[in-house]
Amino acid sequence: MTDAIQSAVKEFIMTEFLPGEDPDELTPTTPLVTGGILDSIATMKLVLFMEERYGVRLEAHETDPEHLDTLVDIAALIRAKRG
Amino acid sequence: MAQQATLAGPGGGASAGATPVAGAGAIRLPLYLAIVAQLALVLLLFRQYQIESGAFLRLAVLAFAGFAVHALLPLAWRLPFFLLLSVAGIFVAIDVANALWLIGCGLVLIGVAHLPAPFRVRVGLLVALGAALALMRARVVEGPMPEAIWPILGSMFMFRLITYMYDLRHEQAPPSPARTLSYFFLLPNVCFPLFPVVDFRTFRRSHYDDDAYRVYQLGIDWMVRGVIHLLAYRFVYYHLTLAPAEVVDPATLSQYLVSNFLLYLRVSGLFHLIIGMLCLFGFRLPETHNRYLLASSFTDFWRRINIYWKDFMQKVFYYPALFRLRRLGTTAAMVVATLFVFVLTWFLHAWQWFWLRGTTLLVAQDVLFWTFLGALVVVNALYEVRHGRRRRLGGGQTPREYAGLVARRYATFWAIAVLWSFWTSESIADWLALWPALRGPWSASALLYPAVVLAVIALGSVERGGVRNVKGAAQTPGEALRVRAVTVASMVALIVVGVESVHTRLGTEIATTVHSLRSGRLSRLDSAKLERGYYESLLSVDRFNSQLWEVYSKRPANWLDTQHAQLKRFTGDFAQVELIPSFVSNSNYGTISTNRWGMRDRDYALAPPPGTFRIALLGPSNVMGWGVGDGETFEALLEERLNASRPPGATAVEILNFAVPGYQPMQQVVAADKAARFDPDALYYVATGRELARNAAYLIELVRKGREIPYPALRAVADEARLDADLEESEASRRLQPFRERLLAWTYGEIVATARRAGARPVLLFLPQARAGSWQDEVAQQNAIAREAGFEVISLQGVYDGHDIETLRVAEWDEHPNRLAHRLIAERLHAALAGAPALVGRAQPAAASPPSGGR
Repeated sequence: MTDAIQSAVKEFIMTEFLPGEDPDELTPTTPLVTGGILDSIATMKLVLFMEERYGVRLEAHETDPEHLDTLVDIAALIRAKRG
Repeated sequence: MAQQATLAGPGGGASAGATPVAGAGAIRLPLYLAIVAQLALVLLLFRQYQIESGAFLRLAVLAFAGFAVHALLPLAWRLPFFLLLSVAGIFVAIDVANALWLIGCGLVLIGVAHLPAPFRVRVGLLVALGAALALMRARVVEGPMPEAIWPILGSMFMFRLITYMYDLRHEQAPPSPARTLSYFFLLPNVCFPLFPVVDFRTFRRSHYDDDAYRVYQLGIDWMVRGVIHLLAYRFVYYHLTLAPAEVVDPATLSQYLVSNFLLYLRVSGLFHLIIGMLCLFGFRLPETHNRYLLASSFTDFWRRINIYWKDFMQKVFYYPALFRLRRLGTTAAMVVATLFVFVLTWFLHAWQWFWLRGTTLLVAQDVLFWTFLGALVVVNALYEVRHGRRRRLGGGQTPREYAGLVARRYATFWAIAVLWSFWTSESIADWLALWPALRGPWSASALLYPAVVLAVIALGSVERGGVRNVKGAAQTPGEALRVRAVTVASMVALIVVGVESVHTRLGTEIATTVHSLRSGRLSRLDSAKLERGYYESLLSVDRFNSQLWEVYSKRPANWLDTQHAQLKRFTGDFAQVELIPSFVSNSNYGTISTNRWGMRDRDYALAPPPGTFRIALLGPSNVMGWGVGDGETFEALLEERLNASRPPGATAVEILNFAVPGYQPMQQVVAADKAARFDPDALYYVATGRELARNAAYLIELVRKGREIPYPALRAVADEARLDADLEESEASRRLQPFRERLLAWTYGEIVATARRAGARPVLLFLPQARAGSWQDEVAQQNAIAREAGFEVISLQGVYDGHDIETLRVAEWDEHPNRLAHRLIAERLHAALAGAPALVGRAQPAAASPPSGGR
C-alpha cells in the first residue's frame, strides 16, 4: 500500500531534482542522501517543502541520513513530527 | 534449512541503534571462505608492495585473523570483540607504555563526556581538558605523556569528540560503552594519524545494516582500490613530480600541475584502506573519495573529495548555521553558512596540524586557498540553486550529455589542479614564478598531460548509471559478479607483476618502474628537502599529503640538531659557520666533542709529528659523524685501523676531521684553507651526492642573505645569472641551472689548488648516502668534474651492499649513517686505500709524482 506522504515527497523529489528520470527507479528505499541525490541544497529545499506542506518544524540535526535517506525515513520523520 | 546453512545468525539481537536487516550478520560458509581467501590475497598484496609501515602489516594480520573469528560470533558479541581487537591493535602497533598512555588519556576524555552533569558543564570540562592537553602538546606546559602518542591521540579525539558530543546531545538513549569505546579506539586508527572523521551516528546506524557478505566484500573492494591509489601515488611521486625550479616550459608546467594534484592519491588510498578494513567488521560506512578526479564542478569536487569531512562539516556546522540564519532568506543563509564552513575548514585544518605536529600552521596560501575554494563553491552553489543540477537514477546518456560532462570535468580538473598548485607552493611568489614557463618553448610534449587527462576523464565519464550506496537487494547478481571479478583479477595481477622473477622479464624499463613501486620511500625531491632540513633548517613540510611530512611527524621534537646543541658558531666569513672549539655535549647517540681547533676529533698539534703521514678530511655532517659518538666515526675507525695494521717501519697516519655539519661544497673551500694550515700530506674531500645542486644552492643562499662574496668568479656567475636578494629561491635556482657545472668546477678547482699549495694530494672520496632513491643522479657528472679539476677519485659505491638500508641510518627521519654504517665505510675505505698505499704514505713516491710521502 502506497503511503500518501511518501508519494507526495516522491513527487516533489522527482519534479525538483530528477526531472526526466523514470519514477519507477525511485523506490521507497533508494538512498537519497548517501546516494548523492539529496545534497545540501536539495536537502534544504526538501526541508522547506516538508515544513510548508505538513506544517512541521525540522531541526538542524534531523537533516542527516538517519532521517532523510529514503522515502521511508522521510515519511517516518514527518509522521513522528506530526505526532 | 537456510538457517542451518549460515555460520552466524542474529543470535542475541541486532546492534542497538543499527537498522536491523533480516538475518543481520549471517553469512553462508562458501561466501565466508571466499572472503577469507580474498583477505589472504589482500595481505599478500600489502606485503608484496610494502603498503605503509611494518606496524600496519601487523595490524592487518590481526584485523584479518580477527575477522575470521568475528564473522562467526553471535551478533551481540561482535561489537565487544571488535573493541577487544581495536585495543589489541594499539598494543600491536605501538609499545606498551605509549599504548597505556593513549588508552588512559582516551578513557579520561570519554569519561568526562559521560559525567553525570548537565551537557554544558561536560562540554566546558572537555574544553578545559582540551586546552590543558593543547598546552602540553605545544610544550608550554611540561606533561607526563610521551611525545609519540600525540598524533594518534589527536587523530582519535580532535574531531570525533565534537561529532560524538553533538550526537550525544540529540540522542534519545546513550550508546553502550562497547560502541563508544570502539568508536574512539577504531581498529586501524593507531597506524594512521590522518584518519577520516567517521560520524558517530553513521558508525552506529551502518553496523550490519546490509547483507554481511556484501559489506565484507565491499571492504575488500575498497582496500584493493586503496592499494591501487597508493601505487598510482608512488608512480607519480617517484617518477613525475617536479620541483618548481624545474618548471621551464609549458610541458613541464602541465606535468607539475597534474603530478602535484595527483599526490592526493595517497590520502584517498589510505582512506580506502581504513574504511575497507572497518567494513570487515560490519560497518557499512560511506564510500570515501568517490571518483573525485572526475568532479564536474567545484561543488561536486567538495562533495566527492573527502566525503567524511564534508559530512562532518555539514552536520555539525553547516546545517546548524543554516537553520539559525533562515530568517535572512534561504539563499543568503546558504551563502553565509557555506562561507562559515570554509573559514572553519581552514581553522580546523590548522587545528589538525597542531595536534599532529605540535606547531601552528599559519600560511598565506592556506588561508587564500580555502578562501578561493569557498568563494568558488558559493558561486557554484548559487548557480545550482537557480538552474538546478542534473541528477540521475540510471539509464543512458546522450552523446551531447556525455560531451558536456567531459568538458565540465576537464575544466574542473585543471581549475582544481591550478588551485592545488597554489595551495602546496612554498610561497605565493614561488607560485607566481611558475607561470612565465608558459612563455617557454612549446613542443608536442606540452600536449602529453592535457591529452592523458582528457583520455582518463573521457573514459571515466562513460555513464555507469544508478544511484550510489544501494543495498544488496538492489544489485543484480551479474553486477556483483563483475565487481568481484575485477577485484580478484586486480589483486592477482598486481601480486604476479610484483614478483621479481616476473617483472624482470618485462623489459628493463617496466621492471625498474615496478620495482620502484614495491616500497615506500622518499622521492628525489623530498629526499632533497629532508637533506636540506639539516643544512638550512628550512622545513616547509606543511602539507598533509606529503610523505615527508609523515616522516617528520615521527621525529621527536627534542631530536638533537646542531642549533639546539650549539655545536656551531657564526664566523662572518664566506663559510658563515664553524664548529665551536673545545665543545662537549651528550646526544641521543653518544658524546660529541671537538678539539681546541674546532674539529670533531681528538687533539692534534698544529704541525705534524715527524714520521707521520697527515690526512686532512673535509666533508659534511655524515663525515663529522652526526649520529654516532666520539671515536665511532669512520674517520676515527680508519685512523685506528691504518695505524694498527701499519707494517714495520711504515709511517704513522693522522686523519684530521675538518668536516662541519651543513657544509655545502662551496663552504669546503674555506675548510680547505683551514686544513692547509695543518700542513697535510693529503687532502681528502668527501662528496656525498647532489654536489651540483647543493653547491649552486649555497650561492643562492649567499645572494639572498646579501652576504659578501669574496671570489670574483662567483660574483661573475651571480651577475650573469641575474641573481639578487629579492629573487624567490625557485626562480634563482632556475636561473642558476645553466651555471651549475661551472660553479662546481670552480669549487673543486679551488680545493685542489689549495691542497697543492700545501703540498697535499687532493683526493675526492665519493660516499653514497644511507638512503634509497635517486640522490645518485648527479654522481657521474660530479666525479667527472672532480677528475677534471685534478682530484684523484675513490668511489665507495656499493659500500652498503648486502645490508638493508633501514638498518644503516640513524632514524627514519634522520638519514645520517649510524654506527654500523660508519664501520662499513671504514672497512671499505681501508680496503680501497690498501690498493692505493701512496694515498696514506705507505709507498715511496715515484720521481714524477706529486709529493705524497710522510715526513
